Amino acid sequence: MKRRKHLLLWTSLGTLVLLGWAIYEEHFSQEWRLLQDQYRMRLEPAAARSFAVQLRQIVVPALNTTDRCVSCHVGMAAGETPIEGHPVFGSHPPVAHDPSEFGCTVCHGGQGRATRIADAHGTAPFWPQPMLPRGFAYAGCGSCHTHLAVTNLDQLERGRSLVERFDCLRCHELEGRGGTTRPFQATGPPAPDLSAVGARGFSPGWHDQHLERSRDAADGYWKDSITVLDVGQRRDLETFLRSRAGAPGLVESKALFHSQGCRGCHKVNAVGGDDGPDLSLAGQKDPALLDFSGLPGERSLPEWLREHFRAPAKVVAGSQMPYLGLDDEQIEGLTFYMLSLRRTSFPEAYWPPDRVRAQLLGERDFSADGATLYGTFCAACHGPRGQGMRYPGTSAFPAVANPDFLELASDEFLLTAIRRGRPGRRMPAWGETEGGLTETEILTLASYLRRLGGREPEPDGQPARWVRAEAESGGALYAQNCASCHGVEGQGGEGTALRNPVLLESASDTYLTETIWRGRRGTTMPAFSEASTIHRSLTRPEIESIVAFIRSWETRP
Amino acid sequence: MATAECRPALARFWANLKAVPALFRASAFRAGSPVSDRSRSSFVFGNVFLHLHSVRVHRWTLRWATTWGLGLITLAAFLIALLTGILLMFYYKPYPAVAYDSIKDIHFVVPTGRFIRNIHRWSANLMVVAVILHMARVFYTASYRRPREFNWVVGMVLLVLTLGLSFTGYLLPWDQLAYWAITIGANIAQSPREVTDALGLTAWFDLGGLQKLLLLGSDEVGEEALIRFYLLHVMILPIALLMLLAVHFWRIRKDGGLARPEDADGRLPAPARRLFPVFTQLPQKTYHLAALVRGRTPAMGPPENTLPSLPHLFYAEAGVLMLSVFICLLLALLSDAPLKELANPAVPENPAKAPWYFLGLQELVSHSAFMGGVGIPALVMIGLGLIPFLDREERGTGDWFGGPGGASLVVRATAFGLGACILLEAFTIRFGWLRQWWPEVPQLAITVANPGTLLALAYAWYSLWVMRRFDSTRAGALALFTCFLCGFVVLTVIGYHFRGPNWDFYWSPSQWPGH
Repeated sequence: MKRRKHLLLWTSLGTLVLLGWAIYEEHFSQEWRLLQDQYRMRLEPAAARSFAVQLRQIVVPALNTTDRCVSCHVGMAAGETPIEGHPVFGSHPPVAHDPSEFGCTVCHGGQGRATRIADAHGTAPFWPQPMLPRGFAYAGCGSCHTHLAVTNLDQLERGRSLVERFDCLRCHELEGRGGTTRPFQATGPPAPDLSAVGARGFSPGWHDQHLERSRDAADGYWKDSITVLDVGQRRDLETFLRSRAGAPGLVESKALFHSQGCRGCHKVNAVGGDDGPDLSLAGQKDPALLDFSGLPGERSLPEWLREHFRAPAKVVAGSQMPYLGLDDEQIEGLTFYMLSLRRTSFPEAYWPPDRVRAQLLGERDFSADGATLYGTFCAACHGPRGQGMRYPGTSAFPAVANPDFLELASDEFLLTAIRRGRPGRRMPAWGETEGGLTETEILTLASYLRRLGGREPEPDGQPARWVRAEAESGGALYAQNCASCHGVEGQGGEGTALRNPVLLESASDTYLTETIWRGRRGTTMPAFSEASTIHRSLTRPEIESIVAFIRSWETRP
Repeated sequence: MATAECRPALARFWANLKAVPALFRASAFRAGSPVSDRSRSSFVFGNVFLHLHSVRVHRWTLRWATTWGLGLITLAAFLIALLTGILLMFYYKPYPAVAYDSIKDIHFVVPTGRFIRNIHRWSANLMVVAVILHMARVFYTASYRRPREFNWVVGMVLLVLTLGLSFTGYLLPWDQLAYWAITIGANIAQSPREVTDALGLTAWFDLGGLQKLLLLGSDEVGEEALIRFYLLHVMILPIALLMLLAVHFWRIRKDGGLARPEDADGRLPAPARRLFPVFTQLPQKTYHLAALVRGRTPAMGPPENTLPSLPHLFYAEAGVLMLSVFICLLLALLSDAPLKELANPAVPENPAKAPWYFLGLQELVSHSAFMGGVGIPALVMIGLGLIPFLDREERGTGDWFGGPGGASLVVRATAFGLGACILLEAFTIRFGWLRQWWPEVPQLAITVANPGTLLALAYAWYSLWVMRRFDSTRAGALALFTCFLCGFVVLTVIGYHFRGPNWDFYWSPSQWPGH
């Protein structure tokens, strides 16, 4: 009996202790309570008295958002006074969107419903979308503004350097820099902040207005504020200003992505090549599902992406992505852009105009000029200037801006090559149903190639097929002179794969014979009209027989 | 005139009002304060809850070693789960789009929500552990024997209901863990297809598909499955369990209390001097009515060596109850109930594991879906159910490891059970099985001959051998049950700890690829 009473006594006492412990945890040791206590102590006595320690949250039903972040970051809660400069209680930096209207996780990631730091920031296990690190915060814009229109990287760079050159930042603020001087007088209003001028819009007559004021001013800053800009400069500046949408870094990194030719292999929003994985949601990858075995450092998505850009095969064993030799700045930029690819599904009422235009009207979110198109889809393989490319471990990619090539290739040949690609090779078909480029874009690309190489096609009076030679002797000549680069069966190697249905169909006999006759300067393809140290010269009939042999692949299975 | 009559009425009213507490107490507890043995007895059988117990309890029953309180711990765990479960129902929303968020809210903002959910989770696990141990206790003390056969069978149904309750609760958080565990569970239910496929019968009679459809209400785990599991979890299974619990407890009384050795009276030490006197007063209740009813009511016999349930048994019960509460609370404070990512049908968990108590089955399923999912479990359940009807011996009732062979047989059977299971598993893990050796072998051959069936055969052979050697069914049962427990433990540990992605063998989860 005594033992039974003891059991009851001690288990009851133990239970009471545990309940006390639970009460302590619930009411005293919660991180947000401790933080709110700290916050209250920093308030003025009157404000502190009316401040209640309680859970705070931002709820946006339309976005399925319940964000309790403001339980700790009290300064950002509606109606509370921020404590400036404090890492937790500070105010939100000025952004285009009011956090109390959109919540926090929409942009920053993390777990809005959580009330403990590790859970909320998403560093605790089992939360697929941790917060974006501080440096990449603006990649969060990509949740809605994936389709933010960007322009050509060179043009952006030119615009930015013009801003510096003409010292616009003396009066205007831009992304936290400049704006120290007031144009009218020391106490007058500041010049407009340009950080989000692209989203707000600006007067088309800004240049003339500035000039006028400069003319009218007797002295002071206005007097020498601006000089006459030529049309090109104005266009570059305006393009740059239009790209300032309040998301510093996003536009630049997106433009960088669209200059590196990444979409030659990767699809983004259904447009791009098929060799690599679709990147449309690359920023939403769950770090827990990534393989970090090749990475020594921190296990986060940005770190994984960074290392992956540095050495793809080290991070993903057997990756086909070549070693790109990017510098650190480019790696940061591309990582930034990858993180911004986090298009989430929202009610259409919340869609920004960019997204409506891109997703509903099918407009492009990058500019449609030849340079951008080439930079977006071609540059990775064919080189930034069309000079061809060779990555460690890959064979050479053709120099598509080679003048010798462009002289012989008809426009139709170029267009077909882009439209239909080279089936079986890495060159994808870019037609509307495959790679997703429109006919206009393909035309633009072809003419951009001509601009890069600076050559128009030579007029060709011959029909497409005029060679009437005998293929037998051509076969022997081919084996002797061509097979070492183009492969015994024409399967390609160092040289192009000649046994390709699209190539054989669209290449004219003139194109083939003349290419062999003249060669391609600047590439490994020699001119066979003359002898070299490793081959004898070929006569025209001999070349024609080779072409006849090559043609025979069209009919032979 | 009116005032003259009113005064006494008012006075009476006032007096009654003052007497309400005493009157209420008297009306609720008719027998008055439990101060004497007789009034204590009256107190017990005047109370519907207490009267689930008999009024007096044998001193043998009160020994710790008789039961170790396992049945009570199971009950306590169930009550805790019931209470916390009701609390959780206030906040939980059983619909896929919001279920996960509602659990997150319970975890993060509902006052004490996380604590309550943790208690719920731990009490559910405690219940499964305790019910298995309780069954083992009843078996090893041979307490299933006449007249308690039926209560053993009721207990088995309660075991199934307990597992069912735990399993249906597993899906409700709607996270990856839940989603894929239930997917695995549903596929286990579908496993008869292995046989119907092999026989070419699936087109006519798809038992497996039917079972899965019945379980999920759809081809995949989705909103139908969630609402189905919710209904089962919060209503059907608890009600069924409660009703059967009542039968289970009532039968304990009707079967004469807990089983004890025939010579229990002689083996008990003399009662302590300061103990309440042992049966000094006859209870007020007469047993004339009971005498009319045919049966083996022990109160008909000599009433020696019994103590009043109040306070002896109830102190013990309250102690065990509080102990269970203490265990659940402690575990709840130390360890959070798991909640993984939101369920995502597109990203399978690898490995996807069933709840831990089904991992032994999952291990068997990895050898043969039908045998692991249906064949062997059915065999085990039938075997367990038949035990009390096959073992009609008398020796050893009420004693731990009672019967021919005794504890030393159990030790040897443990060695055999563990050894056979570990060896077979090790062999399969190291060398593979028929499919790895002859890829063309028909599936039916594997269904018939796989590590699971071989293990069952080995156990059966061993127990028959023991039965012959000791010339006792009880000895055979001891061997078989011990082997079954060992197999359950080994397979569960292998499934829990040693199986990784693609159900491959790993020495530790830290060796899983990609981490």
